[in-house]
Amino acid sequence: MIRFLAGRLLSVALSLLAASIIIFLVMEVLPGDPAQFILGMNARPDTLAALRTQLGLDAPPLLRYFNWLFGMLHGDFGLSYTYRVPVSELIMQRIGVSLPLAIISLTLTLLIAFPAGILAASKRNSLTDVGVMGVTQIGVAVPNFWFAIILVYVFAVTLHWFSAGGFGGWNKGLWPGLRSLVLPSIALALPQASILARVMRSALLDTLDEDYIRTARARGLSRRQALWGHALRNALIPVLTIIGLQFAFLLAGTIIIENVFSLPGLGRLIFQAIGQRDLIVVKSVVMLLVFAVILVNFLVDVAYVAIDPRLRRRA
Amino acid sequence: MTAPATTADTRRAGWLYQALRSPSFMAGAIIAGIFVIIALGSFVWTPYDYAAQNIPNKLKGMNAANWFGTDQYGRDVFSMILVGARTSIAVAVIAVGLGVMIGVPLGLWAAARRGTLLDEVIMRANDLVFAFPALLIAVLITAIFGPSATNAVIAIGIFNIPVFARLTRAAAISLWTRDFILSARVAGKGAARISAEHILPNILNTLVVQITIQFSLGILAEAALAYVGLGAQPPIPSWGKMLADSQTLIALAPHLAIIPGLCIILTVLGLNLLGDGLRDIFDPRLQRGRR
Amino acid sequence: MTLLTIKDLRLSIGDVEILKDIDLSLDAGKVLGIIGESGSGKSMTALSVMNLLPQAAQRGGSILLNGEELLQKSEREMNAIRGREIGMVFQEPMTALDPLKTIGHQVAETILVHGAASRRDAYAEADRVLERVGLPRDRFPRDRFPHELSGGQRQRVVIASAIALKPKLLIADEPTTALDVTTQARILELLRRLVDEDGMGLMFITHDLAVVADLADAVAVMRQGDVVEAGPTREVFRTLAHPYTKALFEASSHVPPRDPSLPGGPPVLEVSGVVRDYRIAPTRMFGPAGAFRAVDDVSFTIERGENVGLVGESGSGKSTLARALMALEAVQAGTITLDGKPLSDTDLEARRKLQVVFQDPYGSFNPRQRVDTLITEPFHLLGGAAPRGEERQRRIDKALTDVGLSPSDAHKYIHEFSGGQRQRIAIARALIIEPSLIILDEAVSALDVSIRAQILDLLAELSDRLEISYLFISHDLSVVRSITDRVLVMKSGKIVESGKTEDVFRDPQHPYTQELLAATPSLERSMAGA
Repeated sequence: MIRFLAGRLLSVALSLLAASIIIFLVMEVLPGDPAQFILGMNARPDTLAALRTQLGLDAPPLLRYFNWLFGMLHGDFGLSYTYRVPVSELIMQRIGVSLPLAIISLTLTLLIAFPAGILAASKRNSLTDVGVMGVTQIGVAVPNFWFAIILVYVFAVTLHWFSAGGFGGWNKGLWPGLRSLVLPSIALALPQASILARVMRSALLDTLDEDYIRTARARGLSRRQALWGHALRNALIPVLTIIGLQFAFLLAGTIIIENVFSLPGLGRLIFQAIGQRDLIVVKSVVMLLVFAVILVNFLVDVAYVAIDPRLRRRA
Repeated sequence: MTAPATTADTRRAGWLYQALRSPSFMAGAIIAGIFVIIALGSFVWTPYDYAAQNIPNKLKGMNAANWFGTDQYGRDVFSMILVGARTSIAVAVIAVGLGVMIGVPLGLWAAARRGTLLDEVIMRANDLVFAFPALLIAVLITAIFGPSATNAVIAIGIFNIPVFARLTRAAAISLWTRDFILSARVAGKGAARISAEHILPNILNTLVVQITIQFSLGILAEAALAYVGLGAQPPIPSWGKMLADSQTLIALAPHLAIIPGLCIILTVLGLNLLGDGLRDIFDPRLQRGRR
Repeated sequence: MTLLTIKDLRLSIGDVEILKDIDLSLDAGKVLGIIGESGSGKSMTALSVMNLLPQAAQRGGSILLNGEELLQKSEREMNAIRGREIGMVFQEPMTALDPLKTIGHQVAETILVHGAASRRDAYAEADRVLERVGLPRDRFPRDRFPHELSGGQRQRVVIASAIALKPKLLIADEPTTALDVTTQARILELLRRLVDEDGMGLMFITHDLAVVADLADAVAVMRQGDVVEAGPTREVFRTLAHPYTKALFEASSHVPPRDPSLPGGPPVLEVSGVVRDYRIAPTRMFGPAGAFRAVDDVSFTIERGENVGLVGESGSGKSTLARALMALEAVQAGTITLDGKPLSDTDLEARRKLQVVFQDPYGSFNPRQRVDTLITEPFHLLGGAAPRGEERQRRIDKALTDVGLSPSDAHKYIHEFSGGQRQRIAIARALIIEPSLIILDEAVSALDVSIRAQILDLLAELSDRLEISYLFISHDLSVVRSITDRVLVMKSGKIVESGKTEDVFRDPQHPYTQELLAATPSLERSMAGA
């Protein structure tokens, strides 16, 4: 078990390293000079040069890469070119929106998908099954940002239950903040929940066809007992893989949904930064998002070990 | 002798027959077919010029002259939807094509050299791409080259490569253990020849199903990119862009948001139904009536 | 007293009639063997008793267990009966256990689900039951997972979970078919012991006449959903009253007519000092990689026209040796020469002298190619000299005719043929390039006995007529005995015994050979022991 996890950790570290190189290289080939952008077209050459030195832009690329990398290792992401504040500070402000949004949507996804998938599989070919499959078939096809617009139209514009956008902030208490995240979370979660419910159902049906289910039934377990006692745990293995992938989609989804609801999260930050050529912010936020994806996939691997004894080694 | 022959005959001759009897396949084929025809037809005919503005006639609802109404510049929404179908489908087709062209050979190659360093390198590179959500790739690419439909294609295409590489590798590896591959190896055939002659034809079904799924995901991704302004640029209409423009006008003209949204949903739904139908037709387990 | 009475049992799935008017009966403490080839409906009969049939299945007639009608039981009542009154053991031990649950859990589950004991008592009982089936607690603690056990051990766990509540009836559906002969012998012994100790009835389903001949008190022979003959084992096998029983019996002990003389000349295959090592992953993170010697210094020769058998159990190295002979894997030491030429994976010239027929008639053909493309695949070995046009056509026709098919079959796809016909096509594919040696890798193991007898006849005839040599690899000793001149016995990568087939079978020298032969169920022996 230790060996398996150590192996996975090593691959996490290697992935992060490779990702950082890719991101750095992409930013290197980017046309345009941040110093020029900050100072405007009419800046004097000597002020430009001074700013370049100050921003560390005139160092050799390899050095700049390592400076960036080692800086990140102890939480120093550098100074934003435009806001002149530490990037880490910007990220900390924005992550308070994006992270809760991603976590709430993922929770919502799981809370909808698991019961729906299990219900459909346990009553295969029934009206319930057909109903769940029909609804999820449409749910899979709905773009989350469109769904968000419709939610705004119905619950904000028409019913005035929620505000159409903006963020209440956490400093006024839990509810104003949560309230601004309700519609965005639902918009993000429903399409993903549809996908996961379908995966859950088909994984369960596959495992229900396995020999060991028949053995369990021969022992006297009812179909229901066999499903809860044996099929569910086995079906979790493919489902976990999908959950890992979905987290990446949810993160990407937050970038778009934050735009629909004008939420001041990481997604908005990255768009603003691109517009302002604030490369150091772009670089760091992309790295952070990639880190989150890799971390979640590592957690999925840990969950595999917890579920599957074949991955554990007896001491 | 007669018994296996008859079942076999019905299996072969019955491909089309089964397709016609699969409601998923038929519904999906019809819906997807309509959108493809619309997209192609828009080259020849649209009721109005999709870019022609007519400010006095702005924000009209559905009526006889403008079937889907007009937008805030008085442009004909129906014409924009027709041309938007073209954008969506073109981006999705090319992006999936890119994924297939690069991903499938990579997957075949990795499977032929499974367990070696090459396989490991290919698969780790794939994993790495998965760490960058498609939208993040798009953001990076746009940051370099600026927003355009081409860059949307590249962003979605890059994300499709590992999808097809993984699928191909997994399907190919299970075939490599089969006796008929062993027999080809005993006949002295090399890995490339075996991949082309024996592996590829036998994973084609799986690939076709995945292509329809990725195609529908491509439509969704294109809409999302266009929505945040990273897709096709004005005046070329795209469904995602139309949605973005409609958002501020939602109280005034909800049809501007609803129509393009329904087009996206219908297209994606059609493609997913088509994929499900194909899977049912291809899957031998289902033919034996296990499910 | 009669434990199980099946009367006029009918079963259909959809429009297909699977069983027609089955009559069977079984007494407590007795073993009923149900014999049949594939498609005879023997497994479906068992699943009908359990009511674990596919959804579209329709049953009719009567199944009485201790006088109670099972066909009228509700699903809830059946749940109470399954596991408590009737236990069942399946064919494939590798997939019959939940990989994520401990073996103790899966045995205790039988007790718990019927509410027969508290949790603690159920686990304690599970320990006792596991001990009873030969998995003592000190070596197989109940927190083991299935993947930590071998196939035979897993089958013991399945049996333990089936008998945990001492059911009155145990159904075993080909429980030893997937196991090696020595393991099979021990499992059969265990089942017999459990029947005697608990006085339960055992319904034992098999395709192998020799297995039931020893074990069963009574047998029923099934064909196409029908019981063609039933009665006390000895009586049925002595009188062979029904022609189908007779045909089965004869096919099971079929010996194809062969010409024992050899044409002479230099040997076809010379294997000398061959070693094949596999690297195994290091046990510690940066520790040294280990090596596993799958084939250990193996030498033998095969003369022209000679049929040599290679027998051994799974893991003996016989498949690895075969792959080395096919030049699919490099050997670490030793030489292999074919018709005097050293074999290498690049030398197509030498490799064309050797062809292979595999076990699985369903997996050994590309389903997307026609028969003519399939059987001409070995022409690839001839490179530019491959026959074309009329000559190619002539060779296809000849190969198909040689194996008893018609030239018109060349344009069909493989799924249009039955298992036996496919194996003929596999032989045609091997013959078409006129090899000196054909490796038959379990080539008849997947076939029903009657088809197997026909294929053995064909192989014997081809060997005599075309002076082809065979290396006949099999775990089935009776088949090897019937068709080979000489036999090699392999264990742990080494050839432990070799000699003339009759000599080895009559008077085995090595203890392992003796053990193998003793474990092999034999019709002859059980009939003689009567």
